[in-house]
Amino acid sequence: MERSKQKAAASQPPKDGAWKFSDILAIPEIREKWQTVRRYFFLRESTYDMTRRCNIQCEGCYYYQGDKASVPENRDPDQWRQLMRLEKERGITYVVLAGAEPSLVPELCEVCFQEIPLGCIATNGIRRIGSEIDYTIHVSVWGNDETSRRLRNAANMLRRQIDNYKGDPRAVFIYTFTRDNVDEAFEVSEILARNNCRISFNMFSAPVGYRGGLRHDAASLQKTRVAMQRICEQYPDNVCFSPYNIVAHTQPLGLHDLFSCPYPRVNTSTDIGLGRSFRQYRTDLSWDRTAACCVPDTDCLDCRHYAAGSAIVTSRMFRHAADPERFKAWLDYVDVYLAVWVRGYEKSPNLCRSLVAPPVTMVLKNKQGLDL
Amino acid sequence: MQQELTLQEVVEGVAQIIIDELKLEDVTPQTFDPDLDLVDEVGVDSMDLATVALVLQDEYGIAIDEDDYPKLKTIHLIAEYVLQRAPVNN
Repeated sequence: MERSKQKAAASQPPKDGAWKFSDILAIPEIREKWQTVRRYFFLRESTYDMTRRCNIQCEGCYYYQGDKASVPENRDPDQWRQLMRLEKERGITYVVLAGAEPSLVPELCEVCFQEIPLGCIATNGIRRIGSEIDYTIHVSVWGNDETSRRLRNAANMLRRQIDNYKGDPRAVFIYTFTRDNVDEAFEVSEILARNNCRISFNMFSAPVGYRGGLRHDAASLQKTRVAMQRICEQYPDNVCFSPYNIVAHTQPLGLHDLFSCPYPRVNTSTDIGLGRSFRQYRTDLSWDRTAACCVPDTDCLDCRHYAAGSAIVTSRMFRHAADPERFKAWLDYVDVYLAVWVRGYEKSPNLCRSLVAPPVTMVLKNKQGLDL
Repeated sequence: MQQELTLQEVVEGVAQIIIDELKLEDVTPQTFDPDLDLVDEVGVDSMDLATVALVLQDEYGIAIDEDDYPKLKTIHLIAEYVLQRAPVNN
């Protein structure tokens, strides 16, 4: 069978209204970004709690919810090396080293890097991770120093984070928007941009049972959306985000309702994708399918977490291949994901500059009246 | 009027799509074992399958439901799925 993979000119909207995938890919700017991002489809992630310890205490930290922090800590580098080798054998190509604070066990992080060289470390940034560990480093920022002192019990946090990672090509400063720090995002972004730091955004996603004041409401979601747009416009060279990231993470509905989360915690299928390959290891190197997602013990209905979106939205290519604008939006999201998570990946300009609504699924059809 | 598709034609067509999309080497539509498990034995992931599914939709004018991905385990099963839905056969 002959297959017409490419068409000579950019396609026009189809007469019957239904776009073919090949027509969408025939649009040159889409094809170019598609060819770039699809080279990374081999990435298969799992996450690892590195230590039970942390040098600060943050309100609403998901790590200290549930029983993750009650298991013993395995600090034997040889056993970690063995785990990484087994992970590689079962196809894991990307590791996320997270809870509670990986910078407290650099020797274990280094073992992971030696065995699986693609990955990311989520850190509070107070203690610098040596450059011999060439993973992407996500430095969590929760507001200005006054807010950090109040919510994280840490003094001069932003100053120390910047001192440690200013100009470091590994580092991305992840600003977590909570219900009460939206206004601060402007001053913090200005400081980070002035110090040649890369910035991306996260949304506070409440742990199960959380009753504190950081949980988003409709007003703070809307306010966050506007703030994200303005900061993206003000610091385009520093901020790694796209209009579709803004849309996906500031909806009244969480990511699970919008896109159907594929992580094992809520996905019983073991046939393919994350449901098959993803594991979330605790510090004793055990893992539990019923708790397996990138932010375990987060309330799924409130989950707008950037790490969750990086897997959930990117895995829903099929739903976004409905028309060029929606596919552009999805490509931008994947482009942001790769730039934020993969060392050396350079983000290209966003293709879709408007706020495209997420694909309508049965869940959304059943929740009429939502302004998406 | 278009001729009805045969199972063998679709098997080879699906194999060609998978070879093209996954850039497989050392295999042709004729030598690709249609009963190989694409996930377990070929290493196809969900993103690969989504891409293949989109191309299949274009090529055969069918609609594929995302929920059907787990059914599409082998070229043989995909070909049967396509034949059941291809407008030219219905």
